[in-house]
Amino acid sequence: MTETFAQLPEELKLATSAHVKYIQSLDTRKDEYDYWLTEHLRLNGLYWGLTALHLLGHPEALPRAETIDFVLSCQHENGGFGAAPGHDAHMLSTVSAVQILATVDAFDELEARGKGKAQVGKYIAGLQNRQTGTFAGDEWGEEDTRFLYGAFNALSLLGLLHLVDVDKAVDHVAACANFDGGYGVSPGAESHSGQIFTCVAALTIAGRQDLIDKERLGRWLSERQVAAGGLNGRPEKKEDVCYSWWVLSSLEMIGKTHWIDRDKLISFILSSQDTEKGGISDRPGDMVDVWHTVFGVAGLSLLNYPGLEPVDEVYCMPKSTTARILGR
Amino acid sequence: MAEQGASHGIARTSRVRSEEQRQKDLERIDKYRELEDQVRQHAAEGGFSRELFALTSKLLRLNPEYYTVWNVRRRCLISGLFSKQSHGSSCSKESWNTSRCATTTTSSVESSSCSSTEIQPSPASPTAGKSGTTADEGDKEAAAKQDVELIKSELLFTIPLLLESPKCYWIWSYRLWVLNQAIERLQAPAARRIWEEELGLASKMLSKDRRNFHAWGYRRHVVARLESSDLGGGSMVEAEFEYTERMFRTDLSNFSALHNRSQLIPRLLDERGATAAQRKAFLDKELNMIRDALNVGPEDQSLWYYHRFLVLNLVTTVGRPTITPAFTREDRVSYLTREIEEVKDLLEDYEDIKLIYEALVDYTLYLCQLEERKPIGEEREDLVTWVKKLEELDPMRNGRWADLERDQELTELLPGGQ
Ligand SMILES: [Zn+2]
Repeated sequence: MTETFAQLPEELKLATSAHVKYIQSLDTRKDEYDYWLTEHLRLNGLYWGLTALHLLGHPEALPRAETIDFVLSCQHENGGFGAAPGHDAHMLSTVSAVQILATVDAFDELEARGKGKAQVGKYIAGLQNRQTGTFAGDEWGEEDTRFLYGAFNALSLLGLLHLVDVDKAVDHVAACANFDGGYGVSPGAESHSGQIFTCVAALTIAGRQDLIDKERLGRWLSERQVAAGGLNGRPEKKEDVCYSWWVLSSLEMIGKTHWIDRDKLISFILSSQDTEKGGISDRPGDMVDVWHTVFGVAGLSLLNYPGLEPVDEVYCMPKSTTARILGR
Repeated sequence: MAEQGASHGIARTSRVRSEEQRQKDLERIDKYRELEDQVRQHAAEGGFSRELFALTSKLLRLNPEYYTVWNVRRRCLISGLFSKQSHGSSCSKESWNTSRCATTTTSSVESSSCSSTEIQPSPASPTAGKSGTTADEGDKEAAAKQDVELIKSELLFTIPLLLESPKCYWIWSYRLWVLNQAIERLQAPAARRIWEEELGLASKMLSKDRRNFHAWGYRRHVVARLESSDLGGGSMVEAEFEYTERMFRTDLSNFSALHNRSQLIPRLLDERGATAAQRKAFLDKELNMIRDALNVGPEDQSLWYYHRFLVLNLVTTVGRPTITPAFTREDRVSYLTREIEEVKDLLEDYEDIKLIYEALVDYTLYLCQLEERKPIGEEREDLVTWVKKLEELDPMRNGRWADLERDQELTELLPGGQ
């Protein structure tokens, strides 16, 4: 790939500066109805945009001080974060907040001006179901392995994983495994790429990869690549840039990335770009959004596409960040 | 992991708006934000009133992803609209989260208790009770009736939203919360009637999208609750097993249906008290069903996954329930050998389908594993040929085939080897 890079057509080169501009423009779209309809994802969106920018090598493209101010303005007394000021606290936005603060190296600001690390840890730990080990998304009780992974991700970054019952949580993840090597949203549920990512990453954080059937899982994951080069989320589904990331990062975690065609996947992600106005979509020709932009860029980074900062496949954050905090 | 923010399958169009369109957008934004402000103001004042409740309906119809507003709606119900009595068993294991959140939320709600008369439960009419019952019982009955009505109207409220946004997590989770309220607040028979209707919804959603992940998970959840003692239920495993068959017959490549089927089998056989002979007959029937399907659709991954599930029942016997636990090793070997022969027969009609070769390789290695030996003689030559075929038909996964050759020591027979 690298050698033939210079001869590639424009749409098969990474449009870095267009993507940077696109991400910068996201918070200036207040005259668009969609901007307001998606406020419940503002903090998540900030994490997606910020991470993409760091991986693209433009960490300065979003102002650091404003970023920190905004994150802290979303925090509740109980330590949890809402998606934006005035939104209820939720696991997903809390994890995004921790990831953002980690990336911009601002845990000290959380101590000084926010409610502090300990309070965040307490909020997350309070969402564990101590009977089954799994986690709820918020006080209203929806449970999902996405939240379990989120809890492990944020707590490990905060150095507070001991606040929860890791063994119980691990048992729960193991119970979500299927005969095909994959994992579902809860015990008995069908294997699904997104859920596989959360389960494999949670087991990796817990140091329990020994519980994974890597042969079977690797097979299932590698079968997700379709002729167009992209990967799908489940058998007989369409390929998609975001699923490509979950499958790819899971393959990387179990050491089987070479079981798919990396060049074809690179081409698929690149051809899903809007090279003119920036951003990446689910597949070529569709509407771009920041969600597919970050997972597209992260995928390219994991595939060693030239010019990108290395990504941590477990945390979906710059490797420099997880190296600084966790020594990974 | 919050898919809601992403656009899927929407064609890229030019982002240029005319000035007129822009003005229209601005008007929509103003209306939306005004509504949002009203909701926030009311909620901040702590008055979880009928008025606020109505406002949440309006806002959620515009934006069902607004999770905070779903929460406001829950608080309205808990702190005013539901009757104050609980009829159900609120300490059941499954409702752990629900009961916990009830205690966390009341603290913030109690202090701002409803002052407006509008939000008080409609006072039970003194004549509401059956003749002969005390006034207190009459009150209870009226309150229960009110709760039933409220729960039903909440369930109705979410239907058009679900049909429009079938993948929105927040709507599904709100709906489940409402259903759990039925268990907490109603007598078991009344709660059961409400839950029974949910199966209909799950079926309806699945007939619209046979693979909808949420709908399948939802169906499993609903069935588990209907089977639980909370709702005075019994096993539904036979009916559910039949349902997966119906779904499979309408669409052979419905992996979700086959997955659910695989999950039901151990329980089904246990509950039938199946004898060794019945279990063997069951396995034969399943193998025949899937083989018939493979004969017409050998390129279908879903069918192969199910076939593999059945085959693995012959191989891995440790740690998971199997269909035929009484099988001796000889039985297993003979079944597996027959399956391999059947798959080989497919090659006569279909030469270039990689899934066939993949199955042949895997099943042959399973056979070796079962007999605790390495591939030998002709078998080994077959493996070499099949792996070569896989490399030819499926070069995208060449890394995997290379690992396979290395691990099974198949390389030296390939061209260039020796
Ligand atoms: Zn996607």
